[in-house]
Amino acid sequence: MARMRGRGMAACWYGIARTATVDRAAAWAEIDDGGSAKIVTGVTEIGEGILTVLAQIAAHEMGLKPEDVVIGDNDTARAPEAAHAGATRQTYMIGNVVALASREARGKLVEVLAKMWEVEPSTIRTGNGFVWAENTNHKITMGKAVECCKQRGVVPVGSATFGTDTTGLDGTDGAGRPWQAYVFGCQVAEVEVDTVTGEVQVLGMWAAHDVGRAVNPKGVEGQIEGGIVQAIGQALMEDYELSNGHTTTPGFAKYILPTSLDVPMMNSIIVEDPDPIGPLGVKGIGEPAMVPTIPAIMNAIYDAVGVRITSLPATPEKVLMAIREKQQRENQMAVQAAE
Amino acid sequence: MAELQIKATVNGRKISRSAQPSQRLLDFIRDDLNLTGNKEGCGAGECGTCSVFVDGVLMKSCLLPVAKAQGTQIDTIESLAKTGELSVLQKAFHKAGASQCGYCIPGMVMAATAALRSNPFADREEIKERLGGNICRCTGYQKIFDAVELARDVQNGRLPATMLDGIDAEQGDYIGKNVSRIDAPSKVSGKLKYAGDMLMPDMLHVHVLRSPHAHARILSIDTSAAQAMEGVEGVITSADVPGEDGFGVFVHDQPVMARDKVRYVGEAVAAVAAEDPLIARRAAAAIKVVYEPLPAVFSAEDALRPGAPVVHAYAPDNITKHIPIRVGDVEAGLAESDLVIEENYETQAIEHAYLEPEAGLAYVDHDGVVVVISPSQNITHHRHMLAKIIAKPIAKVRFIMSPVGGGFGGKEDMIYQGMLALLAMKTGRPVRLVFTREESIASTAKRHPSKTTLRMGLMRDGRIRAVAFRMIADGGAYGLSTEGVMRKAAILGAGPYVIPNLQMDTIGVYTNNTPSGAFRSFGALQTQFATESHLDIACERLGLDPFEIRRINMMRDGATTHTKQKLKSVSIGRVLDAAEKASGWEKGVSGQRNGRGDLNGEGLRPAVALGARFVGDTKQEAAE
Amino acid sequence: MLICDEYLTPVSLDEAFAAMHQHRGRSRIVAGCTDTLPWAREGRAGDVEIPVLIDVSKIPELNDIKVDERRVRMGAATPIQRFLDNAALARAMPEMPRCAVWFADDQIRAQATIGGNIVNASPAADVTPCLVAHEANVELAAMRDGRIVRRSVALRDFILGPGKTVLADDELVVAVECDALPGYGGSFEKVGHRRSLVISIVCLATLVKLDAQGRNFDEVRLAIAGIRPVPRRLHEIEDFLRGGPLSSARLEEAADMQLDLVQSRTRQEYRRDVVRGFLVRGLINAAKRAGADPDALTPEMEAAYG
Repeated sequence: MARMRGRGMAACWYGIARTATVDRAAAWAEIDDGGSAKIVTGVTEIGEGILTVLAQIAAHEMGLKPEDVVIGDNDTARAPEAAHAGATRQTYMIGNVVALASREARGKLVEVLAKMWEVEPSTIRTGNGFVWAENTNHKITMGKAVECCKQRGVVPVGSATFGTDTTGLDGTDGAGRPWQAYVFGCQVAEVEVDTVTGEVQVLGMWAAHDVGRAVNPKGVEGQIEGGIVQAIGQALMEDYELSNGHTTTPGFAKYILPTSLDVPMMNSIIVEDPDPIGPLGVKGIGEPAMVPTIPAIMNAIYDAVGVRITSLPATPEKVLMAIREKQQRENQMAVQAAE
Repeated sequence: MAELQIKATVNGRKISRSAQPSQRLLDFIRDDLNLTGNKEGCGAGECGTCSVFVDGVLMKSCLLPVAKAQGTQIDTIESLAKTGELSVLQKAFHKAGASQCGYCIPGMVMAATAALRSNPFADREEIKERLGGNICRCTGYQKIFDAVELARDVQNGRLPATMLDGIDAEQGDYIGKNVSRIDAPSKVSGKLKYAGDMLMPDMLHVHVLRSPHAHARILSIDTSAAQAMEGVEGVITSADVPGEDGFGVFVHDQPVMARDKVRYVGEAVAAVAAEDPLIARRAAAAIKVVYEPLPAVFSAEDALRPGAPVVHAYAPDNITKHIPIRVGDVEAGLAESDLVIEENYETQAIEHAYLEPEAGLAYVDHDGVVVVISPSQNITHHRHMLAKIIAKPIAKVRFIMSPVGGGFGGKEDMIYQGMLALLAMKTGRPVRLVFTREESIASTAKRHPSKTTLRMGLMRDGRIRAVAFRMIADGGAYGLSTEGVMRKAAILGAGPYVIPNLQMDTIGVYTNNTPSGAFRSFGALQTQFATESHLDIACERLGLDPFEIRRINMMRDGATTHTKQKLKSVSIGRVLDAAEKASGWEKGVSGQRNGRGDLNGEGLRPAVALGARFVGDTKQEAAE
Repeated sequence: MLICDEYLTPVSLDEAFAAMHQHRGRSRIVAGCTDTLPWAREGRAGDVEIPVLIDVSKIPELNDIKVDERRVRMGAATPIQRFLDNAALARAMPEMPRCAVWFADDQIRAQATIGGNIVNASPAADVTPCLVAHEANVELAAMRDGRIVRRSVALRDFILGPGKTVLADDELVVAVECDALPGYGGSFEKVGHRRSLVISIVCLATLVKLDAQGRNFDEVRLAIAGIRPVPRRLHEIEDFLRGGPLSSARLEEAADMQLDLVQSRTRQEYRRDVVRGFLVRGLINAAKRAGADPDALTPEMEAAYG
């Protein structure tokens, strides 16, 4: 058959936030006039959707709508330290600390209203821009609630810090606690190999990842899909090449990236094993999303045509030459067997 | 110079402007008309961030000399939502979650607009073909296809327009809900300003002179001719660094510009700030550097050989970092195994290829604070490092993180912000640097290429008895994140499996190649590729299903990791079950299985058959 | 970057030749510019200063397309996209849409010209092997002694090697003229490292005409590129197949003919292997589109190469 299909799978694990060192982040929160909110923390979007995740968390914690949350300010002179945008740490570190800061701000507001309404603070509920007390007729907008606070001399603000209980590694045997949260994943790949050209097309991927509690499932899918396609690039085509230190792939004409025609149908399955330590149960997904993809594809190529590619990328040439070597080996064995 | 007078209609408005004959339409739109929605991602027609309509035909404006715009009608991304109301397609991109970093998105929205104009009934396969000239590095394209299909169906009345609306959560419970991205409207409309889109009054343009040698001693740098050129306001070399000249995520072994010697091709040697980019370019070319080439080393194995050229004096063995992990007695474990499998694995260097090339601005404010605006992934650490480099208190250094057009780890390194700060200080004016794609590829960090030898001992029932794992990785000319990458590679490399005897070594090595650094999945990708491939080989040899061998060996709740950390909850079993079920996996021994029952099932796309929409093809006719 | 002092856009051949004469030795002809601008970048030619660029894409004669039952004539500035949206061209050159769809992407195809593709003389040019299969001639013009002088050169003679042609420095490519082959089945097989925006490692244009029963080859045309300095017609294989039956054995024999086609410096073994497979695959695909008898080929063969 000229076009052979096969399937392979691989699993992975990953650590959340900075490795083998103490990670930390801080945030400030304020429930602002008109029932909006300000979140200030020193990091911004790199495309993963953290601003939306933080707006959801702040809205959830303070009882607002996400579109009423203003997030700033990725500025070392204006915002508390949130450290870097990487290490699959944004939702875990910044998400958790924003939740804590938001809770503190909400607590200030609730305290004022509880006094005003003469109810227990624990009976006060907030959501979607409203504040109310259970089993009473007290219900006002968040804007009004902020006004009440301010009339009583209170600006509802909060601040928080969140750190990890982690250690470095022992220099001899590596013993240590590099992370406090781990995630796991598993992906299945289905490929088609063209045995005339050696081209591999990935047709389907099924990706199951534990992300802790998922704040925005569509955003999680976006991370998984993007990770898979980056990994397909490394698996099949990308190669930064050097000759005596000079690159021979100086632009995108030579450095080949996956295009819209190289991507499979991607099927994400979100598994939620909440983190027991942080206030939200969230973990993360950015980096682990691309870890199992490459071995799953290589295992699928093996399933399809019986050749194992151990050196990346699996270019058409590499795959076809491996198929021919295998055929030669089999022919020789058949000849020997016949003799 | 024969200036051109360009008369055209841009986004519905007639313009008449003079232009330089060398300008491309992209430069004219962005620099002269300040329509920065369309981006420059590669400058060579390979990425589509600059796609605009010329007389209704979508074209890559980086490939169009501005003269070609004469008398035409040009529509940029800004034309789609002129009234402030997003187009159906833009709304669909918002709703579907089709934008991530957003840098490719203006071009992608234009390409999608062109696709649906050409064929309002285009199916998913045709949509993919028509988007084939636009690269996206973040999304994996799937949500983009979803968005175009959603827009198509709303436009055709097959779906109600309410499908484009956002959601309201009952009871205000917004966790776990698909809230539409709050940054998407600014991205799908091209309004978001990345660093390369930002202007400051009186701003100068920076060009960097880079090393043509992989390893050479710098004998002299003569900047006098460059300094003397009209329009040149400042030239800097390592002599202009007032403080401790070194940066890096773990070791600060890299100078802002090459000091005494260059260690890789593309390393910054000097930088110029001038009134316009062309003057800066020409001035950089006028800097005379005398090099004495040194023997260079181009592979990690060679770098580890005795007598190899030494890249950094502080590391005479060229080892940047070695991370060992030891559990039990690996040789004894292998000896008592029923089966020992040995294999070598190799991974290549990879470019991050974020669509936004590095860019940044710097200025010194009224209080003498040095301010750097750039898509840095780590402003906190950059601030600390820059304060030492320019010998100022931390309070006099301010980093602002501009929207990041893709990072993936590649923007964690402070490779150009130091030059920007020094030039702002030297000239007293705001400065801006925008990398070309080629500059970004040649001078910034890559994923570590690696070579791994893996020996695994197993019992007949599939239990792993011992693993000996050794990876050597080429860290290139500077340390950057190599230490951390080796650490993560080592901790995670053997996989989430119970392994009573483990010997894991990951070794990062200096060479004269382009430096390797942080890249999404940070070493764990390289090592787990080896382990997960190896398990498949083991399955074949032992007659096991690949899910089964992992279940046999997986860590369970309360397990102890290879670094002797006790875990509470371990979800590997749950994700294995979930993937197996969702894919409809047919159980069987790993290896070549003929006539598998689980192939060609749901969840696949059809294999690409290019040109399903030819003139005369039945499909096309059916659509018409 | 490409730096010029003047960018001229003549709108007639006379104007173009006047500009070429005036700026001789300091000018360059451009049309679509899709190769020129990327060429003048780091990693390739770097910064290039050319005092005068002369853009010929607006000259009406260079944009003319004429198609009849026997001949096709395309102005040199015809964009590649026309092969996908001009039904008459697609009918006369049945392999061409399948080639064009592999050519760069929708946007570059709207801009890149057939003349530019030929003059670049890249060994990996996709359009050239198709044109070679259509016995294309390149029509050249020059202004000499105040008169426009034209000559026609067979495309196979026009390209001398990578980047080299017989074009004189006062000459322009004005048109490409070639056989119209309506009723042929066409295929274009190509492999690169991905499917869009990609350079060919091997590409093969195939045109097949069968008898009324769809069982015999009346006519076969094959041209290959990507594997040698210039594209090559495969006359030996065409002669072997012409007049003979369409059968699995014949196709295998044709593919096994020892022609030593691969002259590339890299990936030789791979390219040889792909060429063999492409010959069979191209012939199968073209024959099917030419109305092959469904029973002419064995199912095994179709499965092995299809």
